[in-house]
This record gives sequence, C-alpha cells and structure tokens, in this order.
Amino acid sequence: MASTLQAVAPPAAARQPADPERRPALLVLPALVALAVFFLFPLISMVISAFTDPVPGLGNFTWFFSETQNLRVLGRTFTTALWVTVVALVLSYPYAYAMTIAGTRARAVLTLLVLVPFWTSLMVRTFAWVILLQDTGVVNDLLGTIGLGPFSLIRTQTGVVIGMVQLLMPFMVLPLYAVMSGIDRRLLTAAGSMGARPVKAFLDVYVPLSLPGVSAGCLTVFISALGFYVTPALLGSPTDALLSQQIFTQVNGLLKWGRGGAMGVVLLGLTLAMIALLAVTLRRAGKKVTG
Amino acid sequence: MPKHPARLAAMAGVAASLLLATACGAGSAAPASIDLGSGPAKSGTIKKDALSGLNMTFVSYGGVYQEGQQKAAVDPFAQESGAKILQDGPTDYAKIKAQVDSSNVTWDVIDADSIWAEAQCGKLLQPLDYSIIDKSKVPEGLSGQCTVPAMQYGMVLVYNKDKFGANPPKGWKDFFDTTKFPGKRAISGNPGDSAPGPFEGALIADGVAPDQLYPLDVDRATKKLQSVRSNLVFWKTGAEAQQLLESGEVDMGMVWSGRAYAAVKNGAPFQVAWDQWMPIMDSLAVPKNAKNPKASMALINYYLGAQQQAKLTELTSYSPINTDAKPSLDQAGQAFLTTAPGVPEKALKIDSKWWAEHQPEMIEKWSAWLGG
Repeated sequence: MASTLQAVAPPAAARQPADPERRPALLVLPALVALAVFFLFPLISMVISAFTDPVPGLGNFTWFFSETQNLRVLGRTFTTALWVTVVALVLSYPYAYAMTIAGTRARAVLTLLVLVPFWTSLMVRTFAWVILLQDTGVVNDLLGTIGLGPFSLIRTQTGVVIGMVQLLMPFMVLPLYAVMSGIDRRLLTAAGSMGARPVKAFLDVYVPLSLPGVSAGCLTVFISALGFYVTPALLGSPTDALLSQQIFTQVNGLLKWGRGGAMGVVLLGLTLAMIALLAVTLRRAGKKVTG
Repeated sequence: MPKHPARLAAMAGVAASLLLATACGAGSAAPASIDLGSGPAKSGTIKKDALSGLNMTFVSYGGVYQEGQQKAAVDPFAQESGAKILQDGPTDYAKIKAQVDSSNVTWDVIDADSIWAEAQCGKLLQPLDYSIIDKSKVPEGLSGQCTVPAMQYGMVLVYNKDKFGANPPKGWKDFFDTTKFPGKRAISGNPGDSAPGPFEGALIADGVAPDQLYPLDVDRATKKLQSVRSNLVFWKTGAEAQQLLESGEVDMGMVWSGRAYAAVKNGAPFQVAWDQWMPIMDSLAVPKNAKNPKASMALINYYLGAQQQAKLTELTSYSPINTDAKPSLDQAGQAFLTTAPGVPEKALKIDSKWWAEHQPEMIEKWSAWLGG
C-alpha cells in the first residue's frame, strides 16, 4: 500500500515540499476505503432492506414493535448489558486502582492477568465457562465442598452475565488504568492536609478525576454487550435469548432479512441514543467537577 | 481538503475495486460440456475422468459427519471423475440465499435439513435430474423433487440406565412424567430452528393418537411442554446434546441417535428406548443456478452407492440410505442404527410434507415459546 502511495505522491510533494501534514491523511485512505466496502456498504444495505424487504414501507418496524415478545427481548438485552457494565465496573475499579499503586513487578503481574485472557479467543473462553459453570462443573463442586449449592449457573442469565463480564473486563480495566495512572496522587495528600478524611478525599477528589476513564470503560463495555452473540448463545438458555440471537433467527432460520434488518436498525438507533445521552450526562458531570 | 481530489478519488476507486474483486472471488468459467457416458445411471459409479479439470464445492455440517462423507464418497468421486472438490461449511441458509439472489453460486452440492430443503424446492434449490441420479436403492418416499436423503437418523429417547435401569421410561408419555421419572431432560431447543421432535413428543404424551398428530396442535403441545419446563435443558447443537449426556447433567434426553451413540461410546451410561422414535434425515440438494448442475447430479449419484453408504455409516454411525449397504459395525453401533431389524417398525410417522409447508410458522411459534 505504502509504495503505491509514494508512487503517486511525488509530483504533489515536489510542488509542495513543506506540507508534511497532508501525507498522514493520505495514509488513512486505504483504511477508509476498506471501512466503506466492508462496513458502510453492508450497513447501508441492511438499513435499506429493513425498509424495503419484502415490500417497501415500515412493515418490518410495525411488526417489531407490535410483538410483545420482541419488546421483551429488547428489554432483556439492555438490562443484561447494564448488569454486565455495572458488575464489570465494580470489579474493575479497585483492580485498576490497585494497578496504579502497585510496585513495578506486581503491576506487571496485574497487567498480564488482564491481557492474557484478552488475547485468548472469545470462543475458547466461553467454552471454558461452559465447562466451569455446568451443574456438574468445577464451580458447583467447589461450592458443594463448602456446603453450598448446587446452583444453576449455566443456561441462566447469571451465567451469561458472568461470562460476559469476564470477556469484557479488559475494556473496563484498561481505560480506567490509563486515566487513574495520570491522576496526581499528591492531590489526595493535599486534601488530607486540608482536614479531609481519606474516604472523603477519595470520593471528592479521586473519583471525580477518574470519571473520564469510568465513562470510556462503561460505554465500551455496554455497547459491546448489546451486540454479544456467542456467549449468550452458549451460556444462556433460549429462554434468555438476546436481540442478536433473535436477529439470527430471522436472518438464518426464517430468511426474513427485512425483519432482521429492522431489528438491527432498532438496536443501532437505541445504541446511538444511549451514547448521546451518556455524552451529555458526562459533559454535565465534567463541568461540575472542573467548574 | 486534499489538494488533488480527482487523483484521490481515482485511487479510492482502484482500491475499492481491488477489494471488491478479492471479496467476491473471481467468477468461474461457463458450464463445461460434460459427457457422463451412455446407458442408465447406476448409483455409486462415475465415468472415469468425466469431470477432468472441473472445480466443485461440497457443503455440509463439518465434524465427524463431513469427514465421513468426504472419505466415503466425495474424495473417491473426485479421484475417479477427475474433478477437484473443495469442502466448505457449515450449511448456512442465509449464505445459500445470498448466493442465489446475487446469481453467484459457488456451492455445488449441499447437505441440508430435509424439511428445509423440501420447502425450498424450486425457490433456492433446483429439481434433481433422475436420469443422472439412480434412486432405485433408496427407500420409497425418502427422495423428493429436489432432494435425496444423505443419511438417516432418529430423534430418540435415551435414559440413564444406572438411574432408571430397573424401571426404564418406555416412550414420550414417560418422558413427560416427572413424578414417576424425576430428573432433568435434554431436549432440542434452538430458537432459530424448529423440527419434528418436541411438539410430537408432547402431543403423544398428552394422549394424542400417533396417527392423529397432524396438523400439529401447537397450543396443546406447548401447554404440555410448559408443564415440565423447569425440568427441561435445551440443547442447540448435537455436540451440546452429547455433552449433556456425558457430563451426567441430564437423566433423560430427546436427542439424535448418532450423538447418543457417540456419548455411549465415550462411556455415558445411557440406553435408547426405540418405541416412538422419530425418523429424521439430511438431504443432498443442488442450489438454483449452480455452475455445473450435471456435475452436481453426478456427485449425488455416486454418493448414493451401496459401498459409499456402508463406509459412511462405519465412519459416522448414521444409518445408510442404500438398501444394499452392509456396514460392518460393533454391537453398540448396530444397536443405534435406525435400520437395525425391528427398529423401523417402531417409528412414529412424521409428516415431512406438512412440516415443509408450515416450518416458518413453526419456527416463529417455537421461538416465541422458548423465549417466553
């Protein structure tokens, strides 16, 4: 790619030698074209099919919103994503905090613990959870030896949330750590010297400063969770199917691509709305902190 | 803004078309003229080197099954006919639709659920040419206008013999009786699919006579299913069904005979109750606008041979569909064959025509109940 670009670029560069800022833009071009071909084009054709397949009009959307079953699945998809986000945040915040205060070696270990699973295939990790969580699995055996359970973990919403949290936690820990490691810890000492107890100093000084990381992490996890397919399919029961699975039913089982498209459009629209809402809320929260 | 929009646009165009070309694959040549020889077709044979230089793609569901098909029929066919045959899969209905809709069909022979295939006859699949395909050794009623069976198996009742050995469940009535036979039951439950099995079992258990099953009373069936819902464990793939038996998570199951056999071979203490088993099969079919329909038909004809079918059964434990096939299997394997002596008579009669006509509606109703 780069050689092609250079082959075309010299005349322009010769005429305008002192213009290094143009070239990076040019380098992005292949990526943009790929994005257009492999992402934008299918996306647009999906949106079009939602409005035209099998007949032009809003039929697919009327169908979607008139079936209580669909609305229930939509609701379940959002509550599941919300649960995953909340649990991931609660687990990741102290973890990321520990990473910032740990020594070099301990931090390397903590980072590795996040990254190694992150580099492992999603499918493999989900299957591992199937083995761990099944009724006769390791988790229930362990719980049994301490006199608890057995619990139905697999094929329940709990199982789905457990699996998805583990899969998505890196997307929460890493942005949190990035922001937290930039927070000047002397501010806490300063707050202490002004008479704040450690807890108050932490809540009033540290937490607000870490909010950008919280919002980035939550947004990434929440949006990824909305579109999850493999994990709920393997760890959940058909009873807790999420929207992505219903889309699969329409597209693959029934070959009703218009309906599948309409469901995709609804999911996309609601996701964009959530992002907008979060962005506005966070800007307000941010103003409160700084202003 | 970039300085040379025209140049940029040209480059973008070139890049885009390159990407598109690689994405779509280069189109194959026009159908070759094929000479399959003279005389009536005989299953399991192909004229030597008749398809020399031709490229074909065989599509199935992967795993042990497709490997068996490849070893028993597809590879020997390739060797004799001279065609080069690629394996692809899994059979994906959306992909078939996309290929047919865009008139760029790259799949030549597909292995698909027979009810789906029957429903798609003339839509996504083309009629078979029975002057090329010899179906004289296929049992009456199993082939359609667009389909021939790929193998046969059954939806069977299996139970844990360690738990129920003294007083085992005998049929679907017992399967749904959770007081007499407590425990979890594995049952097929794929929200994107619906096939003979759960509805028929529930109706039989609710007292419907086997010859009065169709048209299926879905409301009555789901009511019966609902009454035992807390005892049901839904499996979505054959592998999952097998795993449920092997890990001992269920005490009973409505599962595919081949998967039950595989679980038993791996040491799961299960036994099959053949009464009221439900025959199912996969079918071979050719997508509409396939590049070389004649070659596709020739491959199907070869696949149906007695020798190929015997070998397929030995490799996969699915039952052969050629009545002359004599697979050599161990005793456990023989016990799971739907073609074993005494077994065919015990089958429930499944109305696959009714299913083919009503499947979309059944998928919706089944998915709705599953998701409820």
